[in-house]
Amino acid sequence: MSTTDEPRHLERLRRATVAARDLLAPSRGSRWEIFTKASSTHQLARSEGSPPSEILTEETGVAVRTYSDGRLGFAAASGIDRPAARRAVESALAGARPFPSDPLPPERLLGLAEVPPPPPATPRGWASHATGELRDALRARSAARLAVLRLELQEGSYSWILATGEGFVGAHTGSSCSILVEVGDRDGDGGVWQEWLWLPDPERFAAEEAADNVVDRALLRGPTAEPRSGIHDVLLHNEISAHLLAALAPLFIATPGRADPLASLVDRQGRLAAPVLTLVDDRCGLAGPLVAPCDGEGLPARTLTLLEEGVPRHRAACYMDAVLCDDTPRGGAVRLSYREAPASGLANLTVATDTALPPARLLAESDRLLYLVRPVGPVEVTAELDSFRLVASALAVERGRVAAWHPVVELRGSLGSFLRRIEALGTDRRWYQTACGYVGAPSMLVRRQPLGTGVRGG
Amino acid sequence: MPPCLGYHARVHDSGPVEPPFDPVWLRGVAAAVAEAETRVSPRLEDVYLERRLDVRVSARNGAAVAEECRSDGLAARWTVGTRLVLLARTGTSAEALNEVLAPYARGMTLPDRRPLPAAELDAPREWRRWAEKLAADISGAALDLRLIQRRAVVIRDGSWSVAETPPLVRARRLGKAASALLAVHDHPSLGIWLREMLAPPPARTWAPESRSRLPVLFAGGTAGALLHELVGHLAESDLTARGLSPFAALAGAEIASHGVTIVDDPRRRDLPGGFTADDEGVEARPIHLLSDGVLSGWLCDRRGGRLLGHAPGRGRRATWDHPPVARMSNLVMAPGTTRPQDIERDLQNGLVVSRLSGATVDPTSGRVVIRIERGWEIRHGRRRRELGQFHLTGSALNLLADIDPAVGDDPQPEWRLGWCVKNGLPIATGSEAPTMLVRQLEVL
Repeated sequence: MSTTDEPRHLERLRRATVAARDLLAPSRGSRWEIFTKASSTHQLARSEGSPPSEILTEETGVAVRTYSDGRLGFAAASGIDRPAARRAVESALAGARPFPSDPLPPERLLGLAEVPPPPPATPRGWASHATGELRDALRARSAARLAVLRLELQEGSYSWILATGEGFVGAHTGSSCSILVEVGDRDGDGGVWQEWLWLPDPERFAAEEAADNVVDRALLRGPTAEPRSGIHDVLLHNEISAHLLAALAPLFIATPGRADPLASLVDRQGRLAAPVLTLVDDRCGLAGPLVAPCDGEGLPARTLTLLEEGVPRHRAACYMDAVLCDDTPRGGAVRLSYREAPASGLANLTVATDTALPPARLLAESDRLLYLVRPVGPVEVTAELDSFRLVASALAVERGRVAAWHPVVELRGSLGSFLRRIEALGTDRRWYQTACGYVGAPSMLVRRQPLGTGVRGG
Repeated sequence: MPPCLGYHARVHDSGPVEPPFDPVWLRGVAAAVAEAETRVSPRLEDVYLERRLDVRVSARNGAAVAEECRSDGLAARWTVGTRLVLLARTGTSAEALNEVLAPYARGMTLPDRRPLPAAELDAPREWRRWAEKLAADISGAALDLRLIQRRAVVIRDGSWSVAETPPLVRARRLGKAASALLAVHDHPSLGIWLREMLAPPPARTWAPESRSRLPVLFAGGTAGALLHELVGHLAESDLTARGLSPFAALAGAEIASHGVTIVDDPRRRDLPGGFTADDEGVEARPIHLLSDGVLSGWLCDRRGGRLLGHAPGRGRRATWDHPPVARMSNLVMAPGTTRPQDIERDLQNGLVVSRLSGATVDPTSGRVVIRIERGWEIRHGRRRRELGQFHLTGSALNLLADIDPAVGDDPQPEWRLGWCVKNGLPIATGSEAPTMLVRQLEVL
C-alpha cells in the first residue's frame, strides 16, 4: 500500500467501522470496541539458484469485543466490507460467555499520543534496486568469500481504526521495511548465517554499511580452541544481548493469578540487575519499529519503565490484567493482528543507553575477554529456579587481538547474579526481531562470569 | 518406488470431501483461466482459495473466554518473464478473484454468475463445551486451547481440487513448565496426551556431564521430532536442489541401518499433517524417504520436482498469502520387531529420552542439536535418575548411521511436535515413531 492508498483504505475502514457500530448500537447497556485494519505488503526475494520472486498481499479484517450483561465476547472476520462487520459482530455476541468483570477500559483512560509520521513510501522499483545493491556490496565486502543465498526485502504499510461505544476513535497509519540476509561461507565450514536488518528510513539505506554488518560476523574465524573453564569477562554482541532481553521479556508482562517471577530473582535490595541497566517499552515511536498513538485498547502511548537502574518498576498490562494485579493501567496492551483480542505485551523493548561506551572501548576494558558474537540457540531462562543458559560462538580476545575462536561457549548459572555483573553498555544499540517481539539492544560487558564444565545438578 | 517391508500405511478415510466453495462457480473459473495457464508469459500457475476458522478458549480471571476468527483469502501465482509473482488478498469473492487476476489477465473473462454461498466452517458444539470446561477446571495451569479448521481449493490445469486437512486441536500450557500439543481434534488419545502435557516436571533431575558420549534410547514417539529435523527437512527439495542439504549428493546411498524405513504419509488423517491433496493440487500419496536405510526419495513441490526429476506432492502453504514450498506432511518411521523393554534392558550405561523440547539441524554443516526435556539415566538396564533439561549434539549423517537396526515394535504418534516453522512460516505436521536406539551422541 503506497501513501496514495491510505485515503482509500481509511475510507473503507471507516465504512466497516460504521457498519459494525450500527449493528452494535441498538444493544443498550452494552460496552464494545471495534478494531478494523488494512495492510499491504510487498516482499521481494532473491535466492541463489532460484528465480526472483515477489509477493504482493492486501489483508483486511475487523474485530469486535463486547461486554454486555456480564458476558464477554470477541470475534474477528477477514474483510472490511459490511458482511465482514456483520460476521464479526454476530460471532462476538453469539460466542459471549459469562465473565466476572468488565475488561474494556473506561472512556476516561482513552486518548492519543503524538507520534512521528511514517517515512514516505518507497518509489516503484526501489526494492529491486536495494536488494541488487546489497547483493553486490556483500560480494565485494567479503571478497566473494560469501555466497549470497537469500535476500528478502519486505516493505509494507498499514492503517487501523479503533472505536468504542462511548465515542472514542483512534486511527493510525504506519509502515515498515526490513531485509533478511542469508549468506553461506564458500569454504563450506562456516554454515549458513542469517541477519535481519530493520530499515527505519528506507531512503537512508546504505548497502555498504549493511553489508559490513553482515560480513563482519559471517566471516569471523580464528584458530579453533576449546574455551577454558574459570572466570571470564564476557562481552555480548548486541544480537546476543537482544536474545537475552527477549528471554527476560515475560518477566515484565503482567500475569494475574500467578506468582510474580521477579520475586525469586531480585536480591535483598530488590535489585534484579546492575544499575547500568534500564529497560523501557518505548511505544512513542521515537526509536522502535512499532509506532502507534495508543495501545491496543486505546490508552495513550507512552514510554513504560520496566527496570530502572536495575530495579524492577512496572509491568506491561492490558486494562483487565492491570486491574487484576491491582496496578495502575498504563497502556500495556498489544494487538498482534486483527485476529486476536488485545493482551498484555511489550511493543518495543529497549535499553536506555545514556551512559554507554563505544564498542571499541568495551573491548579495551579487559585484557582478556570472551566476545560472544553469534547465537547458537535460544537463551533459556527459568525464573523460578533463578537460572539461565546461553549458548553462542565466541572469540577469545587478548589485549585487543583475537586469540582463538570457540564455536560453542555455554554460559549458565544464576540469572540474577549474571544480570548484576553487567558493568557497561555499548552505544551500538540495534533492533532485532525476536521470539518476544522487537528488541533494541546494545553490546553488554559482563564482569567475572564463571564458565564451567562438569556434572550439572537440578 | 520399491515396496518397503515394515511400513503398512493406515489410511483413514474421512468420506467424500465437501468442496468449501460453490463447485459450479469453481468449474467456470477453472475454464476461464485455462488459457492463461498455457501462455509462456505471463503464465498463470494456479489459483488458491482458502477458508479458515480459528476458535480459541482460554481461562482469564477464573472464567473461560472464547475468541473466534473467521478468515478467507485467495492468491494467484504467475510466472512473469523469469519472476514468480504471487498476488494475494483477503476474501474469496468474484471481485477478490478479479483483483489478483486482472494485472496479468489479458482479456480473461470470468464467469458472470457469482458463487453461491458455501456452508460456514463451524467448531463442533461439543468441542466448545469440552474446551470451556477444561480451561475453567484447570485455570491454575493457564491453558490455552485452539481449534483450527482449514478448507482450501486449488484451481489448475483447467480444473479444481480440494485440499482438505483434518480439524486440529492446539493446546498450550503457559508459564512455568510451558508445553504444547498438536493433534487431530477427534483423536482417541487426546485426553491421555493432555494429561501427559499437564503433568508437573520431576522435582529432582540430573544431567550427564558435558562432552560425554553415550547411547541414547528415544522412547516410542520421541524419535519422531528428531527424524522430522534430521530426515524430513534435509529431504525437502528447496534445500536439496540448491545443494544445501547433506543429502544432496547421497541419493541411492545407504545412510542408515537396514531396518530403518521412513515414509512421509499425508494419507494418515489421524496425524496433524494429513491432507487429501497438497496446496498445488497434487493428490496425497506417501513418499518413501529411507527404504531399509537407503535414501530413496525427496519431498518436492512442483518446482522442486521439475528440478530434481521427482514427483511433486509436498507443496504446502502456511496461509493463503504465502506461496507453496516443499514441506513435510506426517513423517512415519516403520516399526521393527524388537520389544522396547528388551532394547532398554540391554543398555549398560546410557540415557532414555521420553520428551524432546526440540531439535535443530544446520543444513550446511549438518550439525544437530537436540534439546532434551525429560527421560532417565540407564545403568545396567535399569532406570535411575530422572533427566532434566540438557542438549545432545552430533552430525546428522553420523547420527543416522548410528541408529541401531533393532527398532522397537511400538509405533506412537508424537503429540509434542506441534507446528513446524520454516523460514518463519508455521505448518501443521505430524510424526510417528517406534522406540529407537542411537548408539552414540555427545552431550553438549
